[in-house]
Amino acid sequence: MTRETSTEDVIARMTVEPEAGETEVREDEDTVQAPGVIETRHMDVYYGNFRAVADVSLNFAHKDISALIGPSGCGKSTVLRSLNRMNDLIPGARTEGEVNYHGENIYEDHVDPVEVRRTIGMVFQKPNPFPKSIFDNIAWGARINGFKGSKSEMANLVEEALRSAALWDEVKDKLDESGYSLSGGQQQRLCIARAIATKPDVILMDEPCSALDPVATLRIEELMLSLKEDYSIIIVTHNMQQAARVSDKTAFFNVKLNDQGMRTGRLVEYTETSQLFTSPKVQETEDYITGRFG
Amino acid sequence: MTGEGRVDTGKGPGSLTKRPRFGEMAIRGFLFVCGALSIAITIGILYELGSESLLFFQDERVSFLEFITDTVWQPQVGGFGIWPLILGTLLISLIAMLVAIPMGLAAAIYLSEYASRRVRSFFKPVLEILVGIPTVVYGFFALTFMTPLLRSIFGSNVVGFFNVLSAGIVVGILVVPLVSSLSEDALSAVPISLRQAAYAMGASKLEVTLRVVVPAALSGIAASIVVAMSRAVGETMVVTLAAGASPRNFQLGESSLFGYILNPFQGAQAMTGYVAITANGDLSYNTIDYNSIFAIGLTLFFMTLGLNALSRRFVERFRQAYE
Amino acid sequence: MSVVAPQRERPDQFPTEDEYRHLLGRRARRARLFQVVCLFALVLAVVALATLLYTIVNDSFGLVAVVNQNDPADIVADLGYDPEVTSLGDLSYDEMVGLVATNVSSGVGRRLEREQRFYEDRLVFESDAVWAEICADAQPPAGCTSAPRDGTNLFALVQERVVVPDVIASYDLVPSLLNRAQFAEQVEAGFEAGRFPEYSSDQVSIEWRAWFNTNYLRAPQNSTPEVAGIRTAILGSAWLVSITLIFAVPVGVGAAIYLVEYAKPSRLNSLIQTNINNLAGVPSIIYGMLGLAIFVRVLEPFTSGAIFTTGVPPSENGRTVVSAGLTLGLLTLPVVIISAQEALRAVPDSLRHAGLALGATRWQTVRSQILPVALPGVLTGTILAVARAIGETAPLILVGAASFITADPTGPFSKFTALPIQIFQWTSFPQEEFRNIAAAASIALLLLLLTLNAVAVILRNRYARRAE
Repeated sequence: MTRETSTEDVIARMTVEPEAGETEVREDEDTVQAPGVIETRHMDVYYGNFRAVADVSLNFAHKDISALIGPSGCGKSTVLRSLNRMNDLIPGARTEGEVNYHGENIYEDHVDPVEVRRTIGMVFQKPNPFPKSIFDNIAWGARINGFKGSKSEMANLVEEALRSAALWDEVKDKLDESGYSLSGGQQQRLCIARAIATKPDVILMDEPCSALDPVATLRIEELMLSLKEDYSIIIVTHNMQQAARVSDKTAFFNVKLNDQGMRTGRLVEYTETSQLFTSPKVQETEDYITGRFG
Repeated sequence: MTGEGRVDTGKGPGSLTKRPRFGEMAIRGFLFVCGALSIAITIGILYELGSESLLFFQDERVSFLEFITDTVWQPQVGGFGIWPLILGTLLISLIAMLVAIPMGLAAAIYLSEYASRRVRSFFKPVLEILVGIPTVVYGFFALTFMTPLLRSIFGSNVVGFFNVLSAGIVVGILVVPLVSSLSEDALSAVPISLRQAAYAMGASKLEVTLRVVVPAALSGIAASIVVAMSRAVGETMVVTLAAGASPRNFQLGESSLFGYILNPFQGAQAMTGYVAITANGDLSYNTIDYNSIFAIGLTLFFMTLGLNALSRRFVERFRQAYE
Repeated sequence: MSVVAPQRERPDQFPTEDEYRHLLGRRARRARLFQVVCLFALVLAVVALATLLYTIVNDSFGLVAVVNQNDPADIVADLGYDPEVTSLGDLSYDEMVGLVATNVSSGVGRRLEREQRFYEDRLVFESDAVWAEICADAQPPAGCTSAPRDGTNLFALVQERVVVPDVIASYDLVPSLLNRAQFAEQVEAGFEAGRFPEYSSDQVSIEWRAWFNTNYLRAPQNSTPEVAGIRTAILGSAWLVSITLIFAVPVGVGAAIYLVEYAKPSRLNSLIQTNINNLAGVPSIIYGMLGLAIFVRVLEPFTSGAIFTTGVPPSENGRTVVSAGLTLGLLTLPVVIISAQEALRAVPDSLRHAGLALGATRWQTVRSQILPVALPGVLTGTILAVARAIGETAPLILVGAASFITADPTGPFSKFTALPIQIFQWTSFPQEEFRNIAAAASIALLLLLLTLNAVAVILRNRYARRAE
């Protein structure tokens, strides 16, 4: 991989060596603030020898909606997946640094990833309901996590989850039909309901609306805002406007070339959404937001 | 906003600790054993074949050197050279390949380059049926149809009751589907852009197929041929029923040796045929006959192993070209 | 740069218009010829298949010239029935026993009874005292412990011992249909040439015979080809397939699940995978050797049943159904694993991620989400693997399928025979009639395989439709 030799300022800024001074601005109150529901400290993620993401330190606040944005390839999905140890499923993936959930590092040896994923749920980019009925889609998660209630209690749980996902009215008469019989937007809400049913603490969403039309997108964004009252939500989105619409805080990531020509993702700026989009502290951020690259 | 802790989930730090999940571990262990069993099978094959072969070679009537160099296989009088049996196997396999390669390749070319969907849906099942017929039925066919046919064509004083040609042709029919389906996969995998480039230069379909597509698919085709060869070498029932039970013993330096060795109209026992006939008779453990089976089996195992490894190399090359 | 076509620059190096058209015509003709040749290859394959099926069917039906020692109509009439109304098969069990008793010598009768009794509660040829004595012997005959004969068995016995049909000439199906008269002439000519010295030509009746009929399916094995049936073989094959399935399916699917869902890329796991691919290509006769050496010989105490003292009668060596079934199981194992792997890999990863992200363990995800989706593919692959195993002969020869056995298999430790073994043996005998019953057995085997494959295809189609 050869270095870009173009003289454009933006690209020159992109190839700034990270060690050459602090180009990332973190919240100054970091050391003063208590850690949020999930906190990462100097987290690196490697795929084999390739460092996909470097030195990410983020503090996600409780019952906030936090957004991760950035150009493609900047590692935002990688960061998200490392928050619930889904990266473990990729052979050769390795996480260094700390990821603390309520102060406990989830990457320690004694931690069971199954437990982590129970309390930190995930919704994927392409809706992936199970090939089961709508009812069973939601009930399954509860059952494997040891739901001990009666059948009517399970029905209540399912209804509650579907209501929280703003899907109940549309499916209440067809709970036995296959999850695949729903439209794309409905399927995604079903996946959200499924994630909620296990009563997680945090919900991670990996570009949840990128496969949906604008109307469905809007409904999911409304859903996110209502879910905020009970859950902490961290979403990855490539749509800046979406981040601006729903999130409380936004983290901007970017990809940098190092001197071996490897592209590593780095956190550039993490701050209140309103501030990031009106007066970002780092020039890179402004360039991205104003569309100079991306 | 921060640091208040989760309100109603009741999950605190420490609940993330691993609990031993015995059911999960037990299941994982069971599944691993299932997977590892396959290695036990290979070890078993090698061990059994090897140890019995060792007993065979340790018998004073047999020497390893004789086994691999002598050209007479006549256990009753102490002749234990393996070459007549290998000759039988190779003769039959060669005839089978002469039948299967042209037929299979031509069929593959037609199916991949010319055939419409309806035509394919007719011929493909036929090929699948051909490969699904038990080999003992093929043996019956060779004995009751092919041999009389050959005898009426060439004369019953030319063609023996047991003959290699009949067995070879039937084994060839048996493996045609192997050649045709693997070759067809290889031909279909050639990108359409290559064909279009050739057509655009004004080539006819024959020229595109023979000069562009087939050479591009060559390693896949080679793999299919080697797989078919391996199958033909290991084939037992057809050769036992149709090629007879007398090994084609020969001496180097005989006059008209070539004609004798390559004569397709007489019988020649193959390696698998010898094993089947011997096992079918009275067989007691620890006799030289019993041990000889395993020595032949070991040879056969290495032959097919080598052929299969070769075909896998061809498949790798064929895959590399397009990925 | 000049853009004039090269032909115009070098007119003598390229063909003229006429020459080119001529060449084109030739190329086009060659191309058409090539296409025809390739099509011909396919047609040849169809012809081969058709010829094979034709040969089998042709040999299984046709006219026969048969001499019955005792004509069935006469036998029935002697017992007082009207032969137009009653046939031999309608006789009662007792009547048939009576026929046997009057038509065989007492020595033969005693031997038959020792092979298999006629009645549960009384003896026909032996006295009770002698029977008790021989059954107390160290190695009692089979009749002491096995179940008594049944109607089908007895009917076959009556055919064999009382009617004693002898087919002296047979004619294939197609000639029988087209040229019946010629057969009668041939038989006459045969008598004149002295080919059938033991009979006279008026004893012969020419009748239509379907070597493959329901009696054939129900009759046990017999050394007389006219009477032999494939019941013993079908039951043997059924036992074999059951044991093969019981062994190969759990182990095979388990191994596939491990390799696809659990195994991380490592040297050991890729070794296992390569090994399985290798094993799938090993000739079946080598599996037979493995079975012979291990199941029949080394594990003889287990496979002969001697080690199990509860009820099931053991054999004197390891050449039993269970040895053969396990050998076939080893044979089909790699194929089952590979096809199950493919079925599992076809399940999209998104389902796995969805399950795991909810906090399910690996097994929970596999059991509830992945396996149900992969199950039709796994089933189809298993059925096809089993269909292959049914047709295997070489391993059975090695493991010691009995060359002649008339009693039905009673348990996993019985001696056995199987359909392909019968076909093999009957094909190797020189007499004409054995060719006929070998062909009939081939029909049975092919029908069985056809059914299995049809089931697999139906399953595959049904689940493919449902998934849409």
